[in-house]
Amino acid sequence: MSEVVVRRQRSVASLLMMLLALALGASGYLLVHLNQDGALPPDWLMSVGPLQFSGPWYVGVGAWFALGLVAWGVTKWRLPYADPIILPLVFLLTGLGISMIHRLDQADSLRSAELQLLWLFAAVTAYCVVVVALRDHRRLQRYTYVWFLAGLALLLMPLLPVLGRENHGARIWIAVGPFSFQPSELAKIILAIAFAAYLVEKRDVLAMAGHRFLGIDLPRPRDLGPIGIAWGVALLILVFQRDLGTTLLFFGLFVMMLYTATERVGWAVLGLLLILVLGFVGYEMFDHVQTRFASWLHPFTDYDRNLQVISAQFGLAWGGLFGTGWGEGRPYLTPLAKNDFIAAALGEELGLVGFCAVVLLYGLIVARVLRTALAATEPFGKLLAAGVAFVFALQVFTIIGGVTRLLPLTGVTTPFVSQGGSSLIANYILAGVMLTITHQARRPQVAPTAEEYASLSADPTQALPAVAAPRPDPADFADGPSGATEGEAR
Amino acid sequence: MSELLVLALKFAFLGLLWVFILFCGNIIRTDLFGRRVPVADAEERPPAAAPRAAPSWRERRAAKSLPSTLRITQGQQQGLTMELGQALQIGRSTDCQLILDDDYVSTRHARIVRGERGYLVEDLGSTNGTYLNNERISTPVPFTPNDTLRIGRTLLVVEA
Repeated sequence: MSEVVVRRQRSVASLLMMLLALALGASGYLLVHLNQDGALPPDWLMSVGPLQFSGPWYVGVGAWFALGLVAWGVTKWRLPYADPIILPLVFLLTGLGISMIHRLDQADSLRSAELQLLWLFAAVTAYCVVVVALRDHRRLQRYTYVWFLAGLALLLMPLLPVLGRENHGARIWIAVGPFSFQPSELAKIILAIAFAAYLVEKRDVLAMAGHRFLGIDLPRPRDLGPIGIAWGVALLILVFQRDLGTTLLFFGLFVMMLYTATERVGWAVLGLLLILVLGFVGYEMFDHVQTRFASWLHPFTDYDRNLQVISAQFGLAWGGLFGTGWGEGRPYLTPLAKNDFIAAALGEELGLVGFCAVVLLYGLIVARVLRTALAATEPFGKLLAAGVAFVFALQVFTIIGGVTRLLPLTGVTTPFVSQGGSSLIANYILAGVMLTITHQARRPQVAPTAEEYASLSADPTQALPAVAAPRPDPADFADGPSGATEGEAR
Repeated sequence: MSELLVLALKFAFLGLLWVFILFCGNIIRTDLFGRRVPVADAEERPPAAAPRAAPSWRERRAAKSLPSTLRITQGQQQGLTMELGQALQIGRSTDCQLILDDDYVSTRHARIVRGERGYLVEDLGSTNGTYLNNERISTPVPFTPNDTLRIGRTLLVVEA
């Protein structure tokens, strides 16, 4: 008798993990004050323009728990078979981020953490909308080219004259009124959907055999169109937005999805070569890329210019193995500690042990989504899950590698952790898409009932008389394949 | 607060962080393979598997009014729904409105058109045939919410 795999929903385990994640996030916030003043936080003050909300500290902690439980409840309601640990992992990272922002607030007496919690409210709302409205990721497959256009428009939006905003040499921001927004955050999700939908349709063509060179199957020259276009757009972003991070994220996503879809190493090799060309072009053309490379390789030659990288290094070193403890270090000495360098701040106060845990939390999210890609039964979900997991992993690798001086520093955000509303909202939307795929991949497939399949095997087999088969005439095959196979299902 | 307490809290926090990760590892470990159950048991799980109950108010209303959506109940794209318009072509070619990812489906397999009293389904000369309620169709026949359409290995129904 045939069997089907049924996965448990793990509701209780998921809820307990969620509560532990929320408690860890909140205890970071409380420990900052306990360590610094020996007392609980004095007050909670949230100001949005003219409006002000204030109250004792447990208002903020209560709001944090409420947001987490609402997100968990909505997921349980709409996606009962979704992965049990992705949401707790996301909330733990968010909680560590908000606590660290709050800790840095103590040094510059701003109220960014409260604002970040307000953004989290918007992000959880966006997450719930995705979970409730989307439900089945296959509905996204229908609008391939609309997604393409939307993604490219978002990527190139910072080049518009009025909206675009240049920051630290890179033009990757748009500004509307008091809000600034990094559209590439949203574009990475939309482009992952577009690439997945496109490659599901076209992968057979792209996987066709080409030339074999040095043991690697290289694609045919005429199939180079899509990768050429993607490379051209990446070059466009590099030249006009001058940001190596976004360029690598976008082009790396495309190359990796192409490789996953076609299972051919040739595309990956070609993609890596093109990435090297992009890096070289960027290095030769732009001063600020050269600066970034110099501050990566020889930071200590120019103390003034590389202050940020150097002080992050000193912070990590000062943190040591177990860190200084919440609120006990001096991460505020690093410029932009709340967004670009929040990973260094966490490394200083939580130490190597805590820093590795944070990297592992990201790794677990990526592993769960890749596992879903393996388990998914239909190609679009498989590709989308793989693409989404990869772009998320690449982003984490780029920024944490940049902060720890494994790679040259680029200006991408640390997902879920760093300060900034647009990044938080975009990443919660990404989490919604991830959980939707996991729900579809993990729920029990309706077992085929005997009645419905019986008819398929009971279809009469036609017996064709073999005597009248005509001898094939070689002349018929001279001018290529004719329409002889028209009636067949192909 | 005393130094010792600060130190203890610091290690407690780091310890809990790693306990969280170990719990994650344990959940992943128990989730690796899922449970294998015989098909007969699994059939009862999804609520959609038991359609032939007494007609509810929803079903009765659906039978009266014109159906509006087409739903794939089984196959690769199971769960997909689509609006029924004036006409809808089904097949594997990209010019079809419903593209089925199914090896048993022809390039242009079947068509659903709106007639005067409801929707009609018509086979477009497919190789493997179009079956309404397990009977192969040769002429346009009415497709009501009570019928199940089979194209290749995909089952479809219309609903209001």
